[in-house]
Amino acid sequence: MNAASTPAAGFDIDVGPVRKALAFLAAIVLGVIAWQIATWISDGWIPGIGEIIDATRDSLLAADTWEQIWITSKRILIAFVVSTAIGVAIGFASGLNRKAEAFFRPLIVIALATPDPLYVIIAILVLGTEESSGVIALTLALIPFVVTIVHGSVKARESQLDEMSAVYRLSRRRYLGQVLARQVTPALFAAARTSFAFAWKIVVLVEAISQPRGIGSEIYEQFRLLNAAEMIALALIFIVLMRLVDAIVFGGLERRLLAWAR
Amino acid sequence: MSPYIEVEGLKVSYDGEHLALDGVDMDVTENELVAVLGPSGCGKSTMLQVLSGLLRPIAGTARIDGKDMTRSSSDRPRVGYVFQDHRLLPWRTVAGNLELVLEAAGIPKAEWDVRIDRYLDILQIGQFRDAWPMRLSGGQRQRVSIARALAIDPAVVLMDEPFSTLDEVTARTMRQQLVELWQESSRTIVFVTHSIREAIFLADRVVILTKGPARLLEDVEVPIGRPRRYEDADITELESQIVDRVMGVWGYEEPAAA
Repeated sequence: MNAASTPAAGFDIDVGPVRKALAFLAAIVLGVIAWQIATWISDGWIPGIGEIIDATRDSLLAADTWEQIWITSKRILIAFVVSTAIGVAIGFASGLNRKAEAFFRPLIVIALATPDPLYVIIAILVLGTEESSGVIALTLALIPFVVTIVHGSVKARESQLDEMSAVYRLSRRRYLGQVLARQVTPALFAAARTSFAFAWKIVVLVEAISQPRGIGSEIYEQFRLLNAAEMIALALIFIVLMRLVDAIVFGGLERRLLAWAR
Repeated sequence: MSPYIEVEGLKVSYDGEHLALDGVDMDVTENELVAVLGPSGCGKSTMLQVLSGLLRPIAGTARIDGKDMTRSSSDRPRVGYVFQDHRLLPWRTVAGNLELVLEAAGIPKAEWDVRIDRYLDILQIGQFRDAWPMRLSGGQRQRVSIARALAIDPAVVLMDEPFSTLDEVTARTMRQQLVELWQESSRTIVFVTHSIREAIFLADRVVILTKGPARLLEDVEVPIGRPRRYEDADITELESQIVDRVMGVWGYEEPAAA
């Protein structure tokens, strides 16, 4: 065993990169074993690991898969950007202003409780099965999450820093940018990450219901054809891609913007 | 000559029912270092908040250099404020914190660097110019907070128990240096404290308030020459005289029957 010293006390014990990698590997192996057991028990309805690997390879090699991924990613990007922008704006307004809070609060509570398919159905009823209806449904479904996180964080801001800003007469712009936004940066990241994570979960639903193209409709199509391995392969590819985007884009930005806290 | 800071019959209420200040009067001449002394919770900080324009009184006036501080207008004099806690932005460097208030005070950008260096050097923290505030000790942070207050060339520096959270040795050093700084730069300083000895050590005049809601209890000259030492017998004697006088007024009431 190596003789690395361990902290005597503390909640955040750093286990080191080797142990982390081992833990990750153990989780994967356990997952694979559990899956394989499920395959045996289900009399072949659940595809085995080998089948899934084959299907994944085939999907990765097919040009059509990448086109579907591109279509879905575009929808996610648009909905993510618009819903985050609108959600942050409403979150700030309702966190800073009681009248805005009184106005938006009930709407957000209702929106949070609304099942996601309902957004899709309403969008289709209003706009038809246009490309835009899916994206709008997705955007509407995401906004409440962003608002809730940002609103809570703005409400919980330090009033002492507000006082400091008032005494030194910081401009409204500087206050919002340097005092408030920086204070709620961790929450903004949480909001953006939540919005992103839900975006790709809900987009699959939206596409399955309303769109002829995209990963979601493809998964649904494979489900109808009872091609479980292909269905899982597509989902798997997309999960890995989204995790990569999350780690690279958000992780990198977060490290830079929160450097002061380390 | 009219006083530089003029507080008259100041009444403040946070909820419209209970008073936090019950008609405080205080005058401060230009370049004077005045200590405002009162028990915890009497409303000392509230008075500073009115003087800095943070809080509107329900009655009375608060003027600095003839300008009404209770109305928001652009020609109100600039005020430097040192809070009990440092209130620095942890995501801006030491210099970044100063730049923010220099910009807000309308100081030309060309002067920022010179000012920042000057005030950080005066407060002996020049080497921390580019450090994150949370990497500094409590005393160092409070020094940055004082540098921030001075850097904008304020008409008045308001200090709200700025050394009360520091350890005793650091606090003594900072008190000593505050007096030297004041003697060299001749600023008008209002220093709020609940420590009788600190008030006597620092100031030429001590404005004593009653317990809350505060009124003016007494205005005491400090006839002790400078330089002073914190342990001076003169300070101890005046301290015990003031203690005798305020004990009855600040003393705790009998607990009310349940």
